[in-house]
Amino acid sequence: MIKPFLQNLLLAGLVLGAGAARAASIVVFAAASLTDSLQEIAHAYTRQSGETVALNFGSSSSLARQIQEGAPADVFFSADQAQMDSLEKLGLIATATRRNRLSNSLVIVVADDSKLAIASAKDLTQAAVKRIALADPQTVPAGIYSRKYLEKLGLWPALASKVVPTDNVRAALAAVESGNVEAGMVYKTDAAISKNVKIACAVPPGEGPAILYPMAVVKESKEPAAARKFLDYLSSAEAGRVFEKFGFLIPQ
Amino acid sequence: MTAEEWQIVWFTAWVSALSTLLILPVGLAAAWLLARRDWPGKSLVQTVVMMPLVMPPVATGLILLKLLGRRGPLGRFLHETLDLDVIFTWRGVLIALGVMSFPLLVLSARIAFEQVNPRFEQIARTLGAGEARVFFTITLPLAWRGILGGMTLAFARALGEFGATIMVAGNIPGRTSTLSLSIFQHVQLGQDAQAYRLLGVSVALAFLAVWTSECLLLRPRR
Amino acid sequence: MNGTSIYPIHPIHPIPTVNLLLKNISLPLADFSIEVDVELQSQVTAIFGPSGSGKTSLLDLIAGLRRPASAFIQLDSRVLTNTAEETFVPPRLREMGYVPQDLALFPHLSVRQNLLYGQKSESRASPLFSFGHITGVLEIQPLARRRVTDLSGGERQRVALARALLTSPRLLLLDEPLRSLDEALKAKIIPYLHRVRDEFKLPMLYVTHDRQEVLALCDEVLELKRGRITKRTRANARDWPIMNNEP
Repeated sequence: MIKPFLQNLLLAGLVLGAGAARAASIVVFAAASLTDSLQEIAHAYTRQSGETVALNFGSSSSLARQIQEGAPADVFFSADQAQMDSLEKLGLIATATRRNRLSNSLVIVVADDSKLAIASAKDLTQAAVKRIALADPQTVPAGIYSRKYLEKLGLWPALASKVVPTDNVRAALAAVESGNVEAGMVYKTDAAISKNVKIACAVPPGEGPAILYPMAVVKESKEPAAARKFLDYLSSAEAGRVFEKFGFLIPQ
Repeated sequence: MTAEEWQIVWFTAWVSALSTLLILPVGLAAAWLLARRDWPGKSLVQTVVMMPLVMPPVATGLILLKLLGRRGPLGRFLHETLDLDVIFTWRGVLIALGVMSFPLLVLSARIAFEQVNPRFEQIARTLGAGEARVFFTITLPLAWRGILGGMTLAFARALGEFGATIMVAGNIPGRTSTLSLSIFQHVQLGQDAQAYRLLGVSVALAFLAVWTSECLLLRPRR
Repeated sequence: MNGTSIYPIHPIHPIPTVNLLLKNISLPLADFSIEVDVELQSQVTAIFGPSGSGKTSLLDLIAGLRRPASAFIQLDSRVLTNTAEETFVPPRLREMGYVPQDLALFPHLSVRQNLLYGQKSESRASPLFSFGHITGVLEIQPLARRRVTDLSGGERQRVALARALLTSPRLLLLDEPLRSLDEALKAKIIPYLHRVRDEFKLPMLYVTHDRQEVLALCDEVLELKRGRITKRTRANARDWPIMNNEP
């Protein structure tokens, strides 16, 4: 009775193992702001190519840290140049594969039911705005961009004490949605997918810092061919349409 | 150690001490009721009291976040009636620490009360003492060692709290940044030197707290 | 604590007796049930029986430390427990002095603090029950500052006795007061018990399994066996002889 059972088990294992060998599986570390768009793109990719893509989202800074420590990423898709640069300097990136894919713009958001009148960043200095959620302005790209913008306007000294730093840009969005902060600064693409916030004012792309999302294959990748193939798919027009649907800008 | 780092140590120490003091009355009352009285629903209460000890701290933190956020049942009342915010403030830290260390205090105090010979309490009653007097002059003094041990454990637990705190108060420099949160942050940023310094202070504080407790409990009985 | 007693004020009777009704007492224990129905009137009544016959539980019932399944307990003219009407006077209002088997001297308090624990305001106590008088009768004045753990067996006994007396009780309950003492010490303490009986003229319930103590101190003896009173007689050698099969 046991023998046929074990035989079947062995057979199943072989089939699965063989199956796994046929289609590659890659791990993509991507900025939190890419969550929804990349999920849709990866889903389409798997349907077409049969290759699985595991997505790991977080702040680009913490992802870069993890890759530095040896995390098994095949592709890195960052929200700013600085994180990619730091990895490239350490020789962890296949430089030839690096390319800038997307741009984005910043917005100031408030909760759906907020009664505050915020028409410009200057309005954040009013007393009614007690707390502003930003992705950590020292390390996370979204927070760094926001801070640079506010510094440029000379508002940073007044606003710094109101800042509630969060782990990544989506956490800042969640903080605004929950009503526990009066306002936040996130990407336009984040505001678009949220149902519980409204854009109080947008930073025109020309006025804000230049936002560029670079992507590259990680040098230590165990599946460099598959990684390159996915990167090419990300660069395709098909993927571009999805990105634009979610509000990303394609740099020329 | 920089001034900011000392500020973090000081903040962690005083907010942990305050939370321990604040949970003391409720904790002792709960411990006494669980030790000395039987009542319907006792097992349920005992279980609920222990929950923060066995649940993942972030889960407890999430519950607190939903309760105390501006849209939550308690938070709304606090915000609208008292203009008081809990989330992202030191009060959030205080509540998170209190909730997480509460079970330890109740557990230790309950055991301490149960170890007081009930005969002493009975004789005190025959000598004319009412329940309050029995508690303060007989039960509590005879249980003080175990209670102090419980307070020390609660304090040490508060010092090291992370999961619930980060949910409820975030890690706002100068406002809600505790030792544990700072160590995590420094490691995230690859700032090992700072992380090790704060690690050293953490270990020293925890060691001091538990060693004091051990000494109190191991000292020869009268 | 208010100063008015729950009992009517009356002068000490020249021949002190107790009027203690223990009617329809029923208290289930582990192996048997205490079933007692008796009216006591002597000054010192012994409750005599082997270990485990329910003697301590009976004292606890009278003192209000245990709740019976059913009972009617009345001391003098005051009803203390009446399960039929759900009346229950808490122990602190029963004005009974209890000297338990293990003495239960509070270890964290000094001798003096133990003694004064139950004392009502000094001004309201009669001179008979004053601190000076009681500590004099039991000869424990020099022990006042000591810790209870530093006392000898005999000293602890006297302190426990004094502590109960200092509450100006109307009834004294003694649970095997000489149990853990050797013969020499017993011989030393019994005169103190005599003094307490004669000086303070308090009615006493004296629980013991020692015949000699009964004969030395008590007026009447109730034999308690497995929760029931099997015999009741005057406590002297003639009315209460040793039976052949008794130890």
